[in-house]
Formats: sequence, C-alpha cells, structure tokens
Amino acid sequence: MAKLRRQAYYMLLWLIALVFFAPVFWIFLSSLKTTDQLLAKTPQIFFSPTTANLLDAVNRPSFTQQFVHSLVLSVASVTIAIVVAFLAAYSFSRFRLAGSDFLMFLLLSVRMVPAAATIVPLYLMYAAFGWKDNLIGIILFYAMFSIPFSLWILKGFLDGVSQRFDETALMSGASRLQVMFKIILPQVRPGLIAAFIFNFIFVWNEYLFNYIVGGANTNNVPVGIATGMYSSGGVDWTFIASATTIYMLPIIVMIYFFQKYLLIGMTFGTVRGEV
Amino acid sequence: MTVHDISRRTALKWGAVGLSVPFVGSLAACAGSKTSTGAVEKVSLKGQSLALTILGVAGWPPSQMSVDFGNKAFKAHAKSALGYDVGFKSSDAPFGQLFQKAATSLATKSQEFNLIISDSQWLGAFARPKWITPLNKIIEANKNLQVEWYSNVVSNGYMRYPDGSSNIYGLPQEGDTQVLYVRKDMLESPKEQAAFKSKYHKDLPQTFEDFDKMTWADYQTIMEFFTRPTEGLYGISLQYSKEYDDFSCYYYPFLFSRGYQIWDSQKKNVQGVLNTDQNAAALEEFVALKKYCPPGADQVGIPEMADLFTQGKVFSCIQWAAMGPSMIPSTLKGKVIVVPPPAFKEGRTYTLGGQPWVVNAFNDKNNMQAVVDFLSWWYLPETQLAYAKAGGNPCDKVTLESTGFDDLQPWFRAYKYMLQDGKTVDFWHDPNYAKMLSDQQEAFSAFSTGQVKDARKALDYIAYKQQQTLYDAGQTKTAPSGTLPSLS
Amino acid sequence: MHPLAELEISVASREAVRVVGASVPSGAEGIGAPRKNYLQKHGYAWGLLVPMLIFFIVFNAIPLLWMIGLSFYRYVLTAGGAPVSVGLENYHQLLTDQAMWGSFSRTLIFVLLTVLGASLLGGLLGFLFWGSAKMPGRRLALTLLFTPMLLTPVAVGAFYRLMLDPNFGVISYLFGLVTGGRENLLSKPATAFPTVLLIDIWMWTPFMTLITLAALASVPTAELEAAKVDRLRWVTVLRRVILPHAKFILMLGVLLRTIDAFKTTDLVLLLTSGGPGSSTEFLGLRLYRLGFDSLNMGMASTVAVIALFVAIGFTTLYLYVLNLKKQEDA
Repeated sequence: MAKLRRQAYYMLLWLIALVFFAPVFWIFLSSLKTTDQLLAKTPQIFFSPTTANLLDAVNRPSFTQQFVHSLVLSVASVTIAIVVAFLAAYSFSRFRLAGSDFLMFLLLSVRMVPAAATIVPLYLMYAAFGWKDNLIGIILFYAMFSIPFSLWILKGFLDGVSQRFDETALMSGASRLQVMFKIILPQVRPGLIAAFIFNFIFVWNEYLFNYIVGGANTNNVPVGIATGMYSSGGVDWTFIASATTIYMLPIIVMIYFFQKYLLIGMTFGTVRGEV
Repeated sequence: MTVHDISRRTALKWGAVGLSVPFVGSLAACAGSKTSTGAVEKVSLKGQSLALTILGVAGWPPSQMSVDFGNKAFKAHAKSALGYDVGFKSSDAPFGQLFQKAATSLATKSQEFNLIISDSQWLGAFARPKWITPLNKIIEANKNLQVEWYSNVVSNGYMRYPDGSSNIYGLPQEGDTQVLYVRKDMLESPKEQAAFKSKYHKDLPQTFEDFDKMTWADYQTIMEFFTRPTEGLYGISLQYSKEYDDFSCYYYPFLFSRGYQIWDSQKKNVQGVLNTDQNAAALEEFVALKKYCPPGADQVGIPEMADLFTQGKVFSCIQWAAMGPSMIPSTLKGKVIVVPPPAFKEGRTYTLGGQPWVVNAFNDKNNMQAVVDFLSWWYLPETQLAYAKAGGNPCDKVTLESTGFDDLQPWFRAYKYMLQDGKTVDFWHDPNYAKMLSDQQEAFSAFSTGQVKDARKALDYIAYKQQQTLYDAGQTKTAPSGTLPSLS
Repeated sequence: MHPLAELEISVASREAVRVVGASVPSGAEGIGAPRKNYLQKHGYAWGLLVPMLIFFIVFNAIPLLWMIGLSFYRYVLTAGGAPVSVGLENYHQLLTDQAMWGSFSRTLIFVLLTVLGASLLGGLLGFLFWGSAKMPGRRLALTLLFTPMLLTPVAVGAFYRLMLDPNFGVISYLFGLVTGGRENLLSKPATAFPTVLLIDIWMWTPFMTLITLAALASVPTAELEAAKVDRLRWVTVLRRVILPHAKFILMLGVLLRTIDAFKTTDLVLLLTSGGPGSSTEFLGLRLYRLGFDSLNMGMASTVAVIALFVAIGFTTLYLYVLNLKKQEDA
C-alpha cells in the first residue's frame, strides 16, 4: 500500500514536471516542422519531422556568429564577475570591515533599477566613451550585473569555511593570495558553480542592453531572434523555434549535470552536503 | 541599519545633482562637432577597398534586395567602372525597433551604418539633429540622381523635410502604397459566382476595372459573402495592431479619402482638428469592419496578415505593395489579383508606405563617396528595371511608364495606380513623430479592444497628448486645452 | 615577532572591529595593536575590494548619478542641441501624467500577483519535491521543471504569441475545444493582463521551486529527525523547525523575484507591445519608449529615478524583515 502511494506520489511529480515542460516541448516540436505544418489549422502532434529547419538555422552565418558572441559574452563576463566577487567576498568574510554590510546591501540595490532605466544613462555613458558596439564594454556591463548575486552567495559560503584554514596556512608561510585561491576557493565550489550558472543564464538570455548598446560586433542570439523573426515579410516561426531550441540546449545540459551544485549553491552556504 | 541606509542614500542622491552637471555639460559639448554639410567634392577611391553597412528592415523583401544588389551588381560595377572594391554588410531590425536602432547609433555620431533605409515619417527626426546629410548639393552634382519622379507623392513623401520646403533629405528606396490582394481563384470559381448571384443579384467583380469602380458599400456584400467562420474563411483582413503604425495606416484612409484632417500642418495644432465627430464616426466605421476579419484582428500587423493570406484564411486583404513577393508565394501563383483598395463615396486616398534612403551625416569622405556612387548607380534605368524584376517597387517615371512594366509583377498595376497624386498621402514627418505615434496607437488600440467605449474620447485623448508633445517641443504656440481624458 | 603573538593580535584586532560596530573608523581599538599592523591588515582588506568598487563606481554609481542629474534637464536627442535645465518640471509633468500612473499601478499589481503566484506555487512544488530523493529520474524531472526559466524572454514572448493566436495557435485551439470559440486571449484588455501574468508565473515558478528546495535543505536534519521522533504535528514542524531556518533564503528569493518582476520589459515587448490598449503597458516598457522611441532622455531619467525610489522602498521593506530574522538567528 505504501508502495502504491509512493508510486502515485512519483507520478504526480513527474506529471507536474511535464506540465511545466509542455510549452517548451512544443517549441522543440515546432522546430521539426515545416512552416505549413506549424501553421496548420489543427495543431499537429504527430507529423513527419524534418531537421531541415534546425540545419538551416545552424547554417546561417549570422546565427553562428551570434551564438559565438553569446558564448563569449556569457563566459567572459561571469568569470570576471566571480573572480571580482570572490575577492570582495573574501574580504567581507575574513576582515569584517566597517560598512561591509552596507556595501553589500547597496550592491543588491543595484539590481533593483528597471533595466530600461539603467540603459539610458549607460547608453549615454557608453556613447560618450565610444564604447557602443564594443565587446569589452558589454562584457564589463554584464560582469557588473553579475557581481552582487555572486558576492552574496560566495560570502555565505565563505562564512561557513572555518578561518582556521586561513590561519594555519598563513602560519605555514603561504601568502594571502595562495590561501585564497589554493585552499579556500576549492571549498566553496558549490557556491562558485551556482553563481556561475545563475549569472550565465542571465547573460545568455539578455536582450535589451545588447540590442541598444551593442551592435554587429556583439549581437547575441536573443537579439538575433528578435530581428530574425521576420523573413520575407511573414513571421519566420520555424526559425524562431529552431533558434530557441538550439539555444536552450547548452543551458539545459548545464542544469542537468550541475543540478546538485546549483541546489547547494542556492542555500547561500547554509548547507555543505546533500540536498 | 535601514534608516541609516536611507539617509545615506538620500544624501548621495542630492549630491548627485551637483556632480552630474559636468557630465551633462560634456555631453553637450560633444554635440555640434563635425557633420557633413552635404558639400560635394569628388573623391577618387581608385584602388581602395571599402566596406559599407546598410541598415535595413528585418524580413522586408525590398530591404534585403538592396543589399543583394549592392553585393553583386554594384560590386562588379564599382570594380570595373570606378576601380575600387566595395562590400556591403547589412544590419537590420524589425520596423517597430528600427528607429531605435538607427537613432541610438546616429546619436553617437558613429559610422556604424553608412546608408540607412528609413521609414518616410522619420525624416524629421533624423534631419533636425543633423544626423543625416541634406542631399540638395549632392543631387545637383550628380546627374544620375536628378531623376524625374512618378508623382509628387514620391517627392513629398520620401524626400522633403520640412514638408513643403525645398530641402531634400531622402531618396526613394522603395515605393509603397496600399493595395488590395484578392483570391482570383475564388472569384472565378463558377460555384461561387452562382451562389453570389443568387444571393445578391449581382456579379462578382472579375477585373481590375471592376475593382477600380468598387466602393466600400459594394464591397460589404462581397466581404460578407466570403465570411464563413465554420469553414475558416473570412472576407478580409485589416491591420488593427498596436504595433508601430499598423492601426494608424489603416484608419487614415477613412479620413484622407473624405478630406478630413489629422492635424493642422501649418500651425502644428492637433486639438480641434483631429478630435472631431466626423473623425470619430470614421473610427467607428473602421473598427466595425472587424466582423469580416478573422478572430484576433487586434493583433494583426504586416507579417500576421501575410500568414493569414498565404494560409488561405482570408479571401482578400489590404496590404502593402512592397509585400508582394511574400503575399504571392509559389502556392498562390496565378491565384491572386492585386487591385486598388475600395473607394469611399467621396474619393480614394490611402496612406503612403515605402522607405527612402537616408545618408549618415558622419560618414567620412571615402564612405560618403562610395555611398553617392552606389546611389547614382541605383537610379540608373537598368538597375531600377532589374530591381522591379526582382520584386522591388521603383519610383521613377521612366521605369514605371516603360512598356511592359505592369506585367512584370502582379501588383505593379495597382501600385502605380495608387502612386498617382491624390491617391496616396503620407502623415507627419515631424521630429516628434515617435511619441505622437505611440500615443495614438495606444488610444486606437484601446478603443478597438473595448478598453475605451467612446471613439470621440479616444480622439480627444490623442489630440491632447499630441498637442502637449508639440507644445513641449516648441513646434506650436498653443498649449493643450481642457483636461486629458482617461483611457481606462 | 613570535607567530603566535602575531596571530593573537590579528585575531584580537578583528574581534575589536566586530565588537565596536559597523561604523568605526580606523585607529579606535587601542588593544595595543601597533598602527602599522592595523593599516597593513585593513589595507589588504580594502585592496581586495578595489576591483569590485571600481566596477560599482563606474557602472553603477556614475550612471546613477548621471541619470539623476539628467532628470532635471530637458534633453531630447532628436531635437538636436544641448540639454536645457528645467528644474523639477519633468517630475511635475510625470506626476500629473495619468498614463504614467496607470503604468505604475499596473506594474505594481503585476509584480504583486506574479511574485505571489510564483512563490506560492513554487513553494508548494518545492515541498512536494522535497521528499523525493529516491525518485527515479529525479534529476531529469527537475531539469524539465526548470526549463521555463531557462528560455530567453524574447523567445517566450514570440512563441506564446503564436501559441495564443486564434488562427494558428495550439493554446487557443485547446481552449476552443473547451469553450467552443477560438478567441485571442491577448486581444481583449480584460484577458490580456491575466494571460501575461500566467505566462510570467509559468516562467518563474521553477525559480521559486529551486529557492524553496534550497531553503528546505538548509534546515538541519537533526532538528527534523527530532521533530519526527517527537511526533510533532505537521503545522508545528513547519512553524517551529522549518520556517526559522528557511526564512532567510525564501525571503531572498522573493526579493530577487520582486526586483526582476518590476523590470519586466522583454516579455511584454514581444508578446503584446504593451497592448491591447494600455492593458499590459508596464513601467519598463514606458521607460523604454521614452528613452528610445522618443529619445527623451530627460524624461526617461525622471521615470527611472522614481522607479529607483520605489525599488529602494521595496528592498528596505524586505531587508527590514530579513534583518529581524537574522538578528533572531544570531
């Protein structure tokens, strides 16, 4: 009896997961359809799939270029953010400086402002410095955006790593930097991974800033989708479906393989073991 | 902790006022630096290799064509006749986002886009801050650019700013008018003809001339006849979408054809001109036509209409001539007739579409020369003819009146017809057009979807808002009067 | 100096700083630590902060100040010419602009409902999934559950527009099977807002589920076991054991979600363009139009400043609650 209940319980969970996944699945199915099948009067679940559209999307040189841009932007900006955040988190955690709490809250307030609001002065600023359509400029912006969250997570985890490690290592003659990166850093791995994934997703999916302040050198795929939506006057649904499907695969894969770390990471350091 | 925070933050805020002044000042200093005055000195580009970028409309057939032409035919021409290498890159954005892309780039005085395919209404917004080059001197210096245009519609709509002045800021890239696409196969089907005759005791129109005489009153019966929800077929499709200028372009013919005004173009006043009872009645008339459209008409814009027509959901639709290549795919070849849209009792005047080329004022000498060379080549009769054959819409008299032109594309006859003076009119080129447009689109959409019940109220809202915009910008001396009606 | 002595001093000086409180300037601890040692230590600490501070100042502080300053000017890019100082006129115009109030209240309602919806639903799902460590394919199921939040809002907006299209869309088809008519939910002001709301909740419930799972994981198993042994009632377990520990992370998740919901722009831009009428015209969208349709930088900055104040208000509220929690735990 208990087994039956357990089965029912599991089935319910699976059902819920599938319900949430259903629209995404529909997008995936659509990428395998031709335009006529996509726009058919009765939505088709069973049809003869074709990979033509997926291949077409991949073969578009603009798409590949945008994909590369997305990759470069995401990896570079989040890596920079994590390094900077780690340094700062270490400082906050170990040195308990005056005003550190204030600074941390202030940083969080940074995320508060509506994107379109920050874009206006940033656009003007970037324009004044000649940074429009500049890959480095955009990377730095995304890095800035990723710092607060990373800082919070890393500090949480760092607080959970006993300072004895630091002290012992320092006494043995290691430099502070060595202590930070060789000894402490590995211990906060879940935090690093969680911060990385979380911010990666944000940059990966970002549209507005890249569209307004970026240009041909920095186009990422969301911009590509928004502009590539229309082809020959009609809406290019097959392209949107294909592009979206291809684009979400890397993230889905990341979430699948690093799920454990993500869950631990989001505990902000209160849990070091299983979730 | 929290109160502490707030006071610190507020202190920062007020301190910011003083600190920000230098930034604003420095930005202001940036303004007014070098721009091209349109002065013409021919630069020799022999032996050089240039890369030009054209900013165009995403997914818009004529826009993409121009880049293709550039990369194939012009490239060859430049190499052989002018002695230099040139390659064209294209950047694009959908209509609703194109202005933002162009403006944000031009505002930084960048050469990111050397040649821009602009919508006709943006001439003012680009010309006023001197982001695009005045073309008068360039045209004077280049014989190829001294083209005789088909009608004043072309020069008023695509070239001049301010309206009525002799300043030229654009050259037509693609001419565009509203035309009616009709399923000829349905008209010619004996079954349909018999059914229609028995029901209405009239014949279905068959030819261009039949449609030329057609009025909206006549067309009602036809739309009604073909509106068969159970079969998934509807009589017509019209654009009621809030996006960009969709709704406005489709509502305006109901005013223009009757000689009603949308604003006082001399004094730049809107109140009292737009929000009249007759305009309100026309608005209601337009919205009432939704009953012959497929469901979801409030979301229908250009691409949605293309999908509806090509998937056989509607018998007819009023759509832009420039969309011709997409409206008649291979599946519909030979099944479509393109005719002028229905006339009103008082006349037939529809809205102008189409895009002019505008030239980035910040182009350096070499790029500018290449752009001028390209444009000069673009207007050669051979090029325009090739463009027409590829599905583009030329605007010059020579090409349009050449023999056999009408037969090159199914929509050319209707396009040419509507391009005549008096048949098509553009709306404001004012620099504040973007705000004026989004305000009115919001109100129109509110009325169309029932958020606002009274057509006159919607117009009052628009008139107030636009008067405010123009007054704030110093275009008119009259401040808005009365109070702003609510849209909710 | 003997290493241990140095250690004692460094520990002592850290202790002193912590004890004396957040706003103590340097040199006040007089525990006998030589000034040089103190500066050395704190110099390093501040040094580590420098990269972050640079980022913060360049990409946050400066634009923020610029934005605040601009709000006192009339600066329309397409008018050509330099910015003109107008004092508080922008604010006055804004505060008397009905459409802006409309957007504002609409956005607040949206934020409230979507955060509530996603939190409740996400919380529920989190609890449901909590005990499923042994479920076959749990990792896959959770990944599938998380997919909505992994899509770029641009694609979500575009595709839901198709799915809801009365002529071509699958959702309206299914709807039609149930209700008989194929309506476009996005066409009517009355249904457009709830539809956008539901889509947003669909997108972000997985995030709140993630947060809840993490929050629940932070509850020490020892206490849970003890509660089980004591056979405490479910509700009591929730109130006395789970919530005290989970509250911090849960509140943080809700705060993050609130902040992000306030900024919703991409989704509505693609989905409805703020229509029909003004039913989904959110603040982010208005801001975007002001800044990049009308290129009215002055006014856009004004809206942004007001939005910032509101957002600070939100955060202060949350942090107040959070701080209370933290103090209780500490």
